[in-house]
Amino acid sequence: MSLPIVIADDSLLARKVLTKALPPDWDVDVSYASNGREALALYREGKASVMFLDLTMPDMTGYQVLEALQREDLNTFVIVVSADVQPMARARVRTLGAIAFIAKPVTPEAVLPILKEYGLYV
Amino acid sequence: MSEPALNEDQRDALQEVANLAMGQAATRLAQLLDSFIELSVPRVQVVAASDAAQALRDMTGIQESVSAVRQSFRSDIKGEALVICRSGGIEQLCSLVNDPYPSSTYEKVSQQELIFDVANVLTGACVSCILDQLGRTPVFSPPGLLGEAMSLDDVFQPGALAWQAALLVEVNFALEDESFRAHLVMLMPEESIRHMNHALDALLTSL
Repeated sequence: MSLPIVIADDSLLARKVLTKALPPDWDVDVSYASNGREALALYREGKASVMFLDLTMPDMTGYQVLEALQREDLNTFVIVVSADVQPMARARVRTLGAIAFIAKPVTPEAVLPILKEYGLYV
Repeated sequence: MSEPALNEDQRDALQEVANLAMGQAATRLAQLLDSFIELSVPRVQVVAASDAAQALRDMTGIQESVSAVRQSFRSDIKGEALVICRSGGIEQLCSLVNDPYPSSTYEKVSQQELIFDVANVLTGACVSCILDQLGRTPVFSPPGLLGEAMSLDDVFQPGALAWQAALLVEVNFALEDESFRAHLVMLMPEESIRHMNHALDALLTSL
């Protein structure tokens, strides 16, 4: 069965860049969200074993999504993908339970080691 | 004048390009001010320069007087970047920067120095990063103070600025306590907006 993953970013360009950065032979079922609320809804539908999450989004930021996920037992691997590369932003999302932080623009080289580390792609 | 507009895909792409630029600029500004910068979704809009004051007022809610620094950039996409912040915000920023040594013998950072520093960081990082993603390497002129405590209408006075079109990039750098916000506007001739549109199309089709 394909792994259900969510790509959450308000920008179409960013969603395209991220999709292209995933391993081409990764067996996944991708759902897209253009704001935090949609991302959370997809998670509740069981479509997010892995979630790629942007931080600056309208209608629930990535931070708010992380907080909501924590209240709901955080049954997903969240990889934050953000242009906000301030050290404090990285520290914050780690505290909120994200497994990794990738700086934009995202590249395949940045994604692959994280997927391997958590056994999400072999 | 014909309105140089962005289609929805171009606007989305430019907004994401601006988002990346904001991240770079925020990191540098955070170092300069030793504070965490809250970033929000950048908003991007192209308007006639004559409508820029009203558009910026609608975007930011600024009613009071502002300080503005201008800096021109050149490549085949050329124009002038304006960094605008509330004059009152600069005072607060100054007190924040000076705060750790209230009674020191060091000369206090003047408001003008500070606004130049902030403008330099924002223009340098934002404009360079935006144009870099579009495959351009701009050359910058030294920054100049357009004015302290002026109205938004005076900033965009016809004749004072050379270009017809304004690309409003609402970058919204806010300190955590929201006491300071800065806004970046890029003014460009129509021809440069066309070059930019083509560059955005090329970026989108490359994916």
